[in-house]
Formats: sequence, structure tokens, C-alpha cells
Amino acid sequence: MRRIILTFAAAVLVAVGLGGVAVATSSGSTITVPRLDRAVATSFSNVYAQEAAIEGHTGITPSSLHAKAMCDRGPNVTQSGPGATWNCLMSWTDPNVPMPPTGYGKFELNVHSNGCFTVGSPSSLIGYQTITDRRGRTVNNPAYEFDTCLDPASDNTPTGTTFPSALTITSTTVNVAADGTVGVDLACGVGAGGCQGKVAAVTDSGTALGTVDVAMTEQATAHLTFPTALPAGTKEVTFTPTTTIGFAPPKPVTLEVQG
Amino acid sequence: MSATTAPAHGTTPRARTARAGFGATLGFELRKLRAQWRTRAVLLGALLLPIPVAFAIHAQGNPPKDSLFGRYATTNGFALALLVLGYAGQWVMPLLTAIVAGDIFASEDHHGTWKTILTRSVSRGSFFGAKTVAAMGFAILVLLILSASTIVTSVLVAGHGDLIGLSGQLIPASQAWHLVAMSWLTAIPPTVAFTGLAILLGIWSRSAAVGIAAPVVIGFVLQLVGSMGSAEALRPYLPTSAYEAWHGFLASPSFHGPFLTGLIASAVWAAITLGLSWTLLRRRDITGG
Repeated sequence: MRRIILTFAAAVLVAVGLGGVAVATSSGSTITVPRLDRAVATSFSNVYAQEAAIEGHTGITPSSLHAKAMCDRGPNVTQSGPGATWNCLMSWTDPNVPMPPTGYGKFELNVHSNGCFTVGSPSSLIGYQTITDRRGRTVNNPAYEFDTCLDPASDNTPTGTTFPSALTITSTTVNVAADGTVGVDLACGVGAGGCQGKVAAVTDSGTALGTVDVAMTEQATAHLTFPTALPAGTKEVTFTPTTTIGFAPPKPVTLEVQG
Repeated sequence: MSATTAPAHGTTPRARTARAGFGATLGFELRKLRAQWRTRAVLLGALLLPIPVAFAIHAQGNPPKDSLFGRYATTNGFALALLVLGYAGQWVMPLLTAIVAGDIFASEDHHGTWKTILTRSVSRGSFFGAKTVAAMGFAILVLLILSASTIVTSVLVAGHGDLIGLSGQLIPASQAWHLVAMSWLTAIPPTVAFTGLAILLGIWSRSAAVGIAAPVVIGFVLQLVGSMGSAEALRPYLPTSAYEAWHGFLASPSFHGPFLTGLIASAVWAAITLGLSWTLLRRRDITGG
């Protein structure tokens, strides 16, 4: 009996040892950015062409879309491995559906350890769970959410696709502090390099409240405070973001002063 | 202690191996299996259980989207069959094979029949071989019945429309039949590995309960190991991962790397577990128990 236990202990030790060697010598996860970029673009092209066919849009094939994706796991984390924080920005060409000014849509991924993942599409571009087909019936939208599995041995050379983060003003009204200065909230979306630039604020009566620098990582929010106090009686303030890195809103944003 | 007497005991019958006949021993083992209610229950379960499962999933108002192919399981029979395959690989298949393989040696302990068998003209080698082949054959038979029953029931219940594959591609029904059947067949190698594990645990523990339950528990532990980020390098070599090798068959372009890795890994697992099993059995002191 003792020999049996020793045999088993030895077998377990060998197994753990081999496991340790495998873990130590491994070159990291097989779930990588280039593989996700390609797999997401391929799968999206296939399901989008199906959606177009259901809606009766002719001339849309997976290859006519020229879909390109840039996947990103979020700031300050290893850009590989399973997780629920993966996002992919994707651009494609469909004459029936114009792209937003940024040129891409944001897709959310939930990547499992077995290399399979679920993609959630942006409903502003793809529509909702159900769509109406040519005969007026309500049917499932194949592009709304879809499942894909990665080939762990597929091409791992970077795709070179990058998209800038979108800088947006998230405040819905002008925040006025107790000392009379004005603040505004910003968000920097998913993208390469984060957001850098300036935001200028001007009141409706033409008073410049100042220009403040912006330096944000991707997927972050910030609160800016302008140096000049708000003149009494101001109803609106116009904020004009400009960027050196990142995608600035194409038009200035005008917000009302509360109270 | 007693191990010193065991090899001497084992060599005498082994000399008669050639005359004892592996075929006769195997026939006897199969007859024993056929007579057990447990065996019949597993076979009947593999044949009939997919029917209520398919109906239950098909009747869901919200499809089980969290699982692969769950999204279309209520509207497409091929997706339903693949959803069931995903679940079956997690614990159903290890359990079904362990019910027989975990008990096939331990039952001789339970009934106290080791002495009776090994004092006949049967060597331990042919006895071990016959029982192993019987357990492996049973595992594959159960898997084939379960596969056929699930695929046929799923398609009858949820229809045979075109299937959306794992690259979003539309797979015509004529191809989907082939791919779904192939996917189910990829469960054979890991099931063989789990059969070996159940045989080992049954021989080692001399208890049917351990032989049947422990492989399922170990299966869950291995799934946990495979899902941990730090152990990702181990993942391809676990028999539980081989149960997921079919994913590549449903992608476009399809990939078979995980299947080949799983095939080799399963063969190694089976070889190690059966090797240890034979070592244990050969050295066992039958006279004592």
C-alpha cells in the first residue's frame, strides 16, 4: 500500500512538474489582439451580409464590406487573454448605412478561456435584436449579437489597424462651482493613444472663459475647470474641443447654464 | 509488505495466457455487462434522455444565449444538437462512461470474486485486457447512441434550417448534418481518456463509488484549471479541453489543431491511466483479499 501511495505521489509530482514547465515556458495566451482583429472582422462581415439580405439590401457581400477591426482590452492591462473588457472598433462600407463621423462602430466582446467569444454590436449601426424582413415579418437580427471561436494557431502578425479614441463632452448642463467658475465633464472612448488637446469655452455674450489642456488615457473620464468666472446673466456656454491625439467632436457643444 | 508475494502469484497464471484466450474472457465480461441493470440503464438513458432535453430546451421562451449555439437552439436543430454536445462534454460523458468503467474492476472487490476468477485458467493480463476493452467498447457505444439520439431528436424537434457557424458563416443543412455528426464523434478521444481514469480509480480505490464519482469530480477540477488564466498553457493538454475541440469544425476557415492536440493528449492520458492501472492490478495481493 505504501508503494502505491508513493507511486501516486510520484505521478502527481511529475504531472505538476510538467504542468509547471508548460506554464513557465509558454509564450502567453493564444488569445491575442491580431487574432481577435481578424476573427471579429470576418465574423461580422458574414453576419452583416446576412442581415443585409434579410432587409433586402442587395449587393452586400462579406468581401464588399471591407471590414477592419482594432481590438483593445482596456488601459493598463495585458493586451491578451480571456476577459469581458475587450472592445473592438470596426469600420466597414455599406452604402445604405452611413458611418458616424468617427468612421467606426464600437463592439463589445466577452472572451472565454476556450477562445470563443460573444460580440455585442452597436445598435445605432446594426439595429436591435429583431429586424423586419422584406415581407414585413419580425425576425432575429443575426448581427445584433454573435458567437465566434478563435483558431489558436491562426495568423498572429499585427493587422496595423488603428482607430483614434473619440473625445466627447458628457455634461448635459454647465456646472457652476461656488466661486463662479465653470466646469465640464469629458470622456475619452476606446481607441489608440487616448485623447490629447484643448477645450475652449465661450459664453453666449462672447466672453472667453479660457482654454484648458486635455490629456486623458483611453476609456477615462475627466472634469475640466475653466479659469475665468462666469459673468452674471449668462444663459449658455459653448465648448470647442480640439485634439492632437484622438477624435474631437465635429461641432462645438453648447450647454445651458442651470439656475 | 504484501507486495513481495504478489508478482510470484501473478507469474504462474500468466504462463498460461496463450491457452486461456483473450476472446473467451472478453465474451464473459460482455455477458456480465449485459446482465447488469446499471449497463442497461445507461444505454437506455443515452437513447431516451435526449428526447425530454431537446423538448425542454426547444420550449424555452428565451434561448440559452450564454452557451455556444444556445442563441439558435430553439429555432435550429443543428444548433440544439451542438448546445447539448457542449453540456454533455462538461460532465455527462465522463459520468456515463464512469458508471461502467469505474465499477468494472471494483465490482470484483465488492463481490469478493477476485480469487474465483484468477484461480481459473485466466491470466491477469488477459483479464485486465478484456475488462478494459469491454469498458472502452461500452463507452464508445454509449457515445454513439447518445450522439445519434441527440442529433435525430434535435433536428426533429427544432428543424433542419441553415446553421450559423462559429465565424458567422451560413452552413447549408446538407453540410451541417456532416459537421454536427463529426463534432459529436470528436468526443470519443476524451471519453476514452476518462474511461482510463475511471478504470484506474476503480482499481485503486476498490470502490465503485469512487470509480464512478471521482472521474466526474476530477473533470470539474480540470475544467477549473483550464479556465484559470495562469494555467492557460496547460489547457490544450487536458482531456476536458478535448471535449471542446469540435469548435474548430464549425468555424470558417475550419481549424483542426485543437482536435489533433486533444487526440494526442487523450491518448497519453489513456496510456498513463491504463499503465498505472495495470501496475496496480499486477502487484495486487489477491490472496489477502
